[in-house]
Amino acid sequence: MKKLFWTMLFALVASLFAVRAQAQALVIANPGVKAGAVSKSQLRDIFTGGSTSLDGAAVTPVLLKQGAVTNEFLAAYIGKNDTAFRAGWRSLVFSGQASMPRSLDNDAAVVDYVAHNAGAIGYIGKSSPHEGVKVLVVK
Amino acid sequence: MRRLIFPALAVWFAAAVFAHAQSLDDLNMQIHGYATQGFLYTTNNNIFTTNSSNGSPAWTEAVMNVTAQPQPKLRVGVQARYFLLGNFGNAITLDWAEADYKVNDKFGVRFGKVKIPTGLFNEIQDIDPAYMWALLPQSIYPITSRNSVLAEYGGLVYGTLALGKSAGKIEYRGWSGEIVVGPNDGYWVTMKEQGIALTNGLHTPETGVTLHWITPAPGLMIGASYARLSQSNSPFTDTYVVPTQGITITTPGTMVLNVPNWPDYFVRWEKDRVMAAGEYERSAGNVVMSGLSPLPQNIDTRSWYLMTSYRFTDKLIAGVYVTQDFNHQAALGPSRYFKDWVVSSRYDFNQYLYMKAEEHFIEGTAVGYDIDLNTGGLQPSTKMTILKLGVSF
Repeated sequence: MKKLFWTMLFALVASLFAVRAQAQALVIANPGVKAGAVSKSQLRDIFTGGSTSLDGAAVTPVLLKQGAVTNEFLAAYIGKNDTAFRAGWRSLVFSGQASMPRSLDNDAAVVDYVAHNAGAIGYIGKSSPHEGVKVLVVK
Repeated sequence: MRRLIFPALAVWFAAAVFAHAQSLDDLNMQIHGYATQGFLYTTNNNIFTTNSSNGSPAWTEAVMNVTAQPQPKLRVGVQARYFLLGNFGNAITLDWAEADYKVNDKFGVRFGKVKIPTGLFNEIQDIDPAYMWALLPQSIYPITSRNSVLAEYGGLVYGTLALGKSAGKIEYRGWSGEIVVGPNDGYWVTMKEQGIALTNGLHTPETGVTLHWITPAPGLMIGASYARLSQSNSPFTDTYVVPTQGITITTPGTMVLNVPNWPDYFVRWEKDRVMAAGEYERSAGNVVMSGLSPLPQNIDTRSWYLMTSYRFTDKLIAGVYVTQDFNHQAALGPSRYFKDWVVSSRYDFNQYLYMKAEEHFIEGTAVGYDIDLNTGGLQPSTKMTILKLGVSF
């Protein structure tokens, strides 16, 4: 009984973290991007090199360097951990199918880049300032 | 001629684009590379032209590419490779050199020297950091040659077509060009050991198509590819030394390779930490060594594998696969087949450095062995241990 209790408690805490992970990353886009929302499958396609458009308009993904926000974004929306995610991009880069997305050091740099580059789409921590960019709702 | 025209066009295209760029930053230039060092140990036979039964570190690869994306739809790049595996390679060669123009998700075109996208792995079979296995199933992805049979001089069109919410989408690739396997390529090592040297290597036109159906079932992809090769005629010389008299006899001839159809079917399923995949390929035709024998040597090879892997942690992944290669036209005996059970694991120390460890349980001698390093004859079964260290950036 005690074992069952601890198992359930662990599962509860884990699920709370999972919900928390989904809520931590904010998806942002250049204000010129027409779409106001993006589905998980669209995000997955864009950030894994499968697609370069969102609702018919060209978009370019921008990454944050490795860290908690990146891990949360990948877990919540891409369904891969950082190692598998980068292995996927290496497949594309070394077989001549794509260029590696730009990877920036911090949230402020991502916001600045997305704000000033047409079609740019990225992610930042939920609490980070994000003036000059558009927040996309993830459906 | 096409061998020269397509890369030249890609270079001219790249030069024209670079001339219009205002600064290096406009070009979005990137440099990436990786290097691997492998170690092989086999219990019986020597494999891949190495002295593996004594333990061999003769397996080194280093790759570097430079790409530029001056406009969102246009990308140009080039990749070079150093490859050494026993007596295969030991040279720097061109992996690909291409210009790529992607109109939209539905249509793009790539030309120059481009990768051939057959099967599940052909495009990435020489890109070690991209997968967990140290050695892909040798029945379908033999390591004897790296870039010569993995790429073609020509063009490729590609795109993704949505089939609607309930039907998923189709990724298509169609290509046409010429495959060139140089006279010193690792592909010919076993022939050379028998005294047969192709004067100009092998040049053969190839056309093909690959379809990936991304099904509505989460993580499930079903695919097929079909390649059609034209008959090739490659001049060769056969050198034979008469042992008792020390006289060298050289006979000219022509290798006529006729393996016209190359169908391949595959499936992959990925969900969370689990991946499972399978592939089946058949190649049938014949080869005539005119000048040596008037009789054609028939080929009917059926190859397959089944694989699965599980990601235990962010850094550790492990898996197993079984693969078989069976030539239905070959003489009875172990040389007719190749069967391999494999247990593998990969550990990523960080985003740059990784290590692979793999154990093979091989039955049959149809794949991977040469004559010179197995002078005592081949044993029908071998165990092979592989350790590999890789770094990429």
